[in-house]
Amino acid sequence: MSTINAGNITKGSFIIYKGTPHYVIKTDFMSPGKGSPIMRIKMKSAVTGAASEFTYKSNEQVEVADVTKKDMLFLYSDGSEVVFMDPRTYDQASVPAALVENKIGYLIPNQKCIVLWHDEAAIGVEIPPNVVLTVTEAHEAIAGNRVNAPKKPVKLETGIEIQAPIFIKTGDKISVDTSTGTYLSRVNQ
Amino acid sequence: MKTWEKIKENPSLLEKYLIREKVINSVRSFFSDRLFHEVQTPILVPTPSCEANLEVFQTELKTFSGLKRKAFLIMSPEYSIKKLLSAGIGNCFEITRCFRNDEEISSSHNPEFTMLEWYRINASYLEIMEDFERLFVKIVKDLNPKTDLAKWVYQNRTYDISLPWIRITVSEAFEKFAGVDTEKLLSSKKLIKIAKERGYQVGKRTTWEEIFYQILFNEVEPSLKSTNKPYFLYDYPASQASLSKRKASDPRFAERFEVFLAGIELGNCFSELTDAKEQKARFIKDLKVRREMGKSKIAIDNELIKALSRGMPEVAGIAVGVDRLIMLTGDFPNISDTLFFPAKEIFDLPDT
Repeated sequence: MSTINAGNITKGSFIIYKGTPHYVIKTDFMSPGKGSPIMRIKMKSAVTGAASEFTYKSNEQVEVADVTKKDMLFLYSDGSEVVFMDPRTYDQASVPAALVENKIGYLIPNQKCIVLWHDEAAIGVEIPPNVVLTVTEAHEAIAGNRVNAPKKPVKLETGIEIQAPIFIKTGDKISVDTSTGTYLSRVNQ
Repeated sequence: MKTWEKIKENPSLLEKYLIREKVINSVRSFFSDRLFHEVQTPILVPTPSCEANLEVFQTELKTFSGLKRKAFLIMSPEYSIKKLLSAGIGNCFEITRCFRNDEEISSSHNPEFTMLEWYRINASYLEIMEDFERLFVKIVKDLNPKTDLAKWVYQNRTYDISLPWIRITVSEAFEKFAGVDTEKLLSSKKLIKIAKERGYQVGKRTTWEEIFYQILFNEVEPSLKSTNKPYFLYDYPASQASLSKRKASDPRFAERFEVFLAGIELGNCFSELTDAKEQKARFIKDLKVRREMGKSKIAIDNELIKALSRGMPEVAGIAVGVDRLIMLTGDFPNISDTLFFPAKEIFDLPDT
């Protein structure tokens, strides 16, 4: 069991809160009323996906969840759970959809992801920094201000919409940054 | 991509950044309607505020002929304004830049920020509560005259910001929402015992103050927040008085309030301490704590003590984070969304 100072907890890490692993979604370090510093943590249970908030003393010791990583393939999401498969053993694992947040729109079947494990349970997933997705809808660019806004919205095979350069057409494959949701490049076939 | 580049690429973004200009205009008109003087006090000072838990930006003033002075960027314009109050300026306000070092940059913190302070003479914190709620409502109405105050929206959640806002004392709130009565609240031993029973981490060095704030934020605040109304939490235990004066009717508490909306602290107000001797004693205590905590060395502002001893009128004052006002009234999730040049961006700091 390892611990860290509450003041050093970072967004995206896993801590043990009330005995179960939680995924940290937001941290706020503050000195309330000019008093001694505290660390407010917003998190989601890695087991149920339920959101919690707790305020620690910034110098308090908080248990960190020991996490191991395994490469797995995305299979599908049923809205409440996201299901992955180990390509070597065909074992399946599911993670609460609440933990994958708004990243589901970057996943297509067989997309390789890193699934995070704690005590033999899947508790989270790391999506690759960029993924390649097919454009399913791209309207002709409207003539107009091309100097300042040389972009247009395009729809991708997973249903999400992003801003892409005006030369992108339906059927193109494009690389997308999964942390910012921005267009990176057109991928040559 | 930096904010200025994003705006260049998408000029429609500019509009949301200009909400800042509208909010500041609204603040100025609120106070000029009430005949408050707008003052400008120095940002670079020889003696900054000496709150024990805050860290200051330090620099050095040098003249061409070789004179050197320690210099600091202010954490609040309070000390200078109080000298003006002693001089007899009367009701006044200032909108200025303040700085805090050694803090985490977060959704509600930027190391350089804009502070609004106003001071009302012959008044107490109760009048400042009225000023605050009216100012906030004015800004909201100036930004959008059609806003329904009972259904004001921030980040997809609806709040009732119609007047008056909730006023609740710290001891009422602890009793009602955390089941801690005043006697237990004010006793270090009893409060720490309660904390232990409730599963808070308590060690040898855990202080009353740490537990006070932990119970406040983990038990009291969620209940207050669930009312979906803004609230003034007032009458803090005297140890949290800072620069406020004790209540004449119950000196265990100090005339201080903080105002919260959507879980965000918007302002901190005092019926100002006018007793020079007590102020000096509190400064000495603060400086001692600073030394123990290894914070940068600063001196007592003796000019402020002198100003108090020469007679400052009865006055109440408040410090309000303008960036947070903009964040709330403009419906932004983060302070950095209100700034053209967030510190995180210009200093290339990672997300926390």
